[in-house]
Amino acid sequence: MLVASCGPLVENAPFALRPDTLQPGDLLGPFDGIIVDAETERPIASATVAGSWAFERGIGLHGPAGSREFSLETSADGRYQIPRPDDLETGGSMRLRRFTLVVYRRGYVAYRSDFKFGSDEVRHDFSQHANKVRLDKWQPTLEHRQHLAFLGGGVAIAKAAGWEAQPASLEYEGLAAPHIAEAKGETVFSASEQTLDASPLLSVEEVRGVTGFAGEFEVGRLADRVRSDVFDSRHFKAKGKPEAFDVAVRVWAIGTAAAEEQFKKLAGELPAAVATEEIGDKSLRARGGDVLGLAFLLREKGLVIQLSCGTSQCTEPGMVLRLAKLVESHVGELRSAPDGKAGPEGKPPLGKTPEEGKGKP
Amino acid sequence: MRLRQALAPVVLAGIAVLTPRFALAWDPATTHAGLTARALAASKFHATLAHEIGRALGSLEPLRLDLGALEPDTARNLKSRLDALDPAGGYRPSADRIATASAWVRAGAVLAKTPPERGRHHFFEPRTRTGLDDGPGLSGTVHAARLTFDDGATVRDGATGLAFDLEGMPALDWLRSPRNDLGLTAFFDNWVLAVSAAQANQRETALVRAMLALGGALAILEDAGQPAFVRNDFRGEFLAQDSGSVLERFVSDRYGAVSLPPSPAPVARPDLDSYFAAADGNGLAQDTQRRFFSPGTLPEDIRFLPGQTPSEVAGMANRSLQFPEPTVAALDLRQSGRTRYVVRDGIRVLAYRCNGDRVHFFLDQAVDEDVARRWLPEVEGYAAGLIDHLLRARLQIAVEENKARVALTGTATPFGPAVTVHVFWEDDAGVRTELPAQATQSDAPLSFDLPKGARKIAAYVRGQDGAGAYAAASEARVP
Repeated sequence: MLVASCGPLVENAPFALRPDTLQPGDLLGPFDGIIVDAETERPIASATVAGSWAFERGIGLHGPAGSREFSLETSADGRYQIPRPDDLETGGSMRLRRFTLVVYRRGYVAYRSDFKFGSDEVRHDFSQHANKVRLDKWQPTLEHRQHLAFLGGGVAIAKAAGWEAQPASLEYEGLAAPHIAEAKGETVFSASEQTLDASPLLSVEEVRGVTGFAGEFEVGRLADRVRSDVFDSRHFKAKGKPEAFDVAVRVWAIGTAAAEEQFKKLAGELPAAVATEEIGDKSLRARGGDVLGLAFLLREKGLVIQLSCGTSQCTEPGMVLRLAKLVESHVGELRSAPDGKAGPEGKPPLGKTPEEGKGKP
Repeated sequence: MRLRQALAPVVLAGIAVLTPRFALAWDPATTHAGLTARALAASKFHATLAHEIGRALGSLEPLRLDLGALEPDTARNLKSRLDALDPAGGYRPSADRIATASAWVRAGAVLAKTPPERGRHHFFEPRTRTGLDDGPGLSGTVHAARLTFDDGATVRDGATGLAFDLEGMPALDWLRSPRNDLGLTAFFDNWVLAVSAAQANQRETALVRAMLALGGALAILEDAGQPAFVRNDFRGEFLAQDSGSVLERFVSDRYGAVSLPPSPAPVARPDLDSYFAAADGNGLAQDTQRRFFSPGTLPEDIRFLPGQTPSEVAGMANRSLQFPEPTVAALDLRQSGRTRYVVRDGIRVLAYRCNGDRVHFFLDQAVDEDVARRWLPEVEGYAAGLIDHLLRARLQIAVEENKARVALTGTATPFGPAVTVHVFWEDDAGVRTELPAQATQSDAPLSFDLPKGARKIAAYVRGQDGAGAYAAASEARVP
């Protein structure tokens, strides 16, 4: 049955008003609830919550005709509130077809108000008010590609889950994702709720020590690839100077098999790549325009590191190798950090063997 | 907009008597998006993007649609349709028009029926290869009038004869029609532009449009897995009552966009048409028509005489059928008032109930459940097969010293007439320029001299092989 109103027709909600009643809710909302850890029942902060309303129109044949979305991030109490949309689509056959809530928090399995992940079962425990979202912790045997296919959601969710694209892509390529590799006993480097932190690998002082550069650097990350639990970068941008004065480090911590593949990929993609035996288990030199490149593989640790240095900064090829050796000397300090924040002190360093890595967060 | 405002009172009055019903097409926002997602995952889509088109993240590569690179009318039309999409499905692009390659394809499958009247061209009767045709009568005119009251935009269509009057092009024609911005013409044109356009934003926008068109093509095939669309049953499905379609609702609510049953292996067919209909009878439209009833093509209710055998009664029911298959075998007439089922290949395809000396035939949720469970994976397999079919031809590029060697592989036999291989080089600024093209009539590599400073090499070819039209596009870095 449809309920006519001044705006669109509003369909009956497939969810209850509250968890303790069978009274149907209202598709228009408002909605409220709390996000908790399924195991500890503790509230989860910084979860991305996105509610969306879908409108449709048509007689006989019907199709999408607009939407509204509201997103927020939970605070320490894990609670969310989503107000009713105040501007609705209008038109002859316009109707509000569905409301969907999506919750995403890195390190957990995502939640949808309509279906459950993994079992593909219809969810029946969503309610308009006092909804309790119990997030299960991410398990190493799960696949990111399936998770992304399940997730859906708008811009806020896509942004929060963007880091999963890289491990998911590796899964499509038939390479073991780091977390699946962990379950299989391969060398791994990170837990899903962590992001890789490349900051210990190279410092401004070390760059100056090698190249003799006296100017200032702005230190940040490269924008060409999203930081994730398996990738991070360090960009030393020479202030007021052209790109030929910049230095950059990229690091992939992806497990033994995937690291081999990544190194092969770099060998195929980097301009003028030539294999060398200078550092690590395998290495290569490359050159594109004013930038010198050196990439090397640390097989046992499952790491691939790529160093780039502009020819005005690294005025001789030996400088690039010296920088690479400094980076290699810091590999043991490579860390993960929660949710893209800087690596906190006290976190166990990454780059451990499976045995050494056991018990890490 | 002015028209819409002026009609508002009429529209409100119309709702009271013309409550819209929900269609028995696959629901675009959920089912088409979900079927397409499953098909993409089962096909070589990811590998093609990652290894042929230089998009490292493959199906998860973020792509930006630059509306400024399109004709103003095209951009405006596309923007308004994209803005209509539901974010919950995961395929709506961001405000700056960025989405993953996979999301763009799924968006295309939804846009294929946005606005919904585009679905008129998704009908295909495989025996006659005709589209939606409601035959003589006033229904079409009445329906067009109803749509006029529904949306101001269709007033213009009514005046120009373009309103949806219950007729449409055959799905295969629509798939190939240049008028279809989400059809094969758009796919092939943009697939080659995605590597050959001069500027990077033009190439990325062309790739997005190719993804959208691929989704649109898949949506047409997916509807060939919907009984009403292959049994010319718009009237029975869409106009018989205003209470809503049980099957469409069931599939949409049970599976949504994210929870459809997984696809089996892609279905390989010899050519494009044969995905719909072919002499071997294994086209999706043929198989669907042969296996399932739709509400408007059920056996008529019958009255039987005492002493008539169940198979005689079944024969009477079969004589009322519009299509040769499926048919009704012996009926169980023993208990009055009890719902029983006609089962075919383990699937309940028809419900019936005896009331005294009458047999009533109908479709219920048990039938819908079986149809969905059995047939959705089949549809996904055909859709995955179509993706692989369209991406079958490959251009392998190998760069050695100052030469690029380009070989065309993956085409079906016979190779077909000679084709022209177009090769482009990219400079440091990302601008691509064409090198002198070469013709070939085999898969032997062609050699091209590279200009100094070439950063990347791209190539495309369009042709016709034993499986029909194809386009291959590829690019590679210069070491």
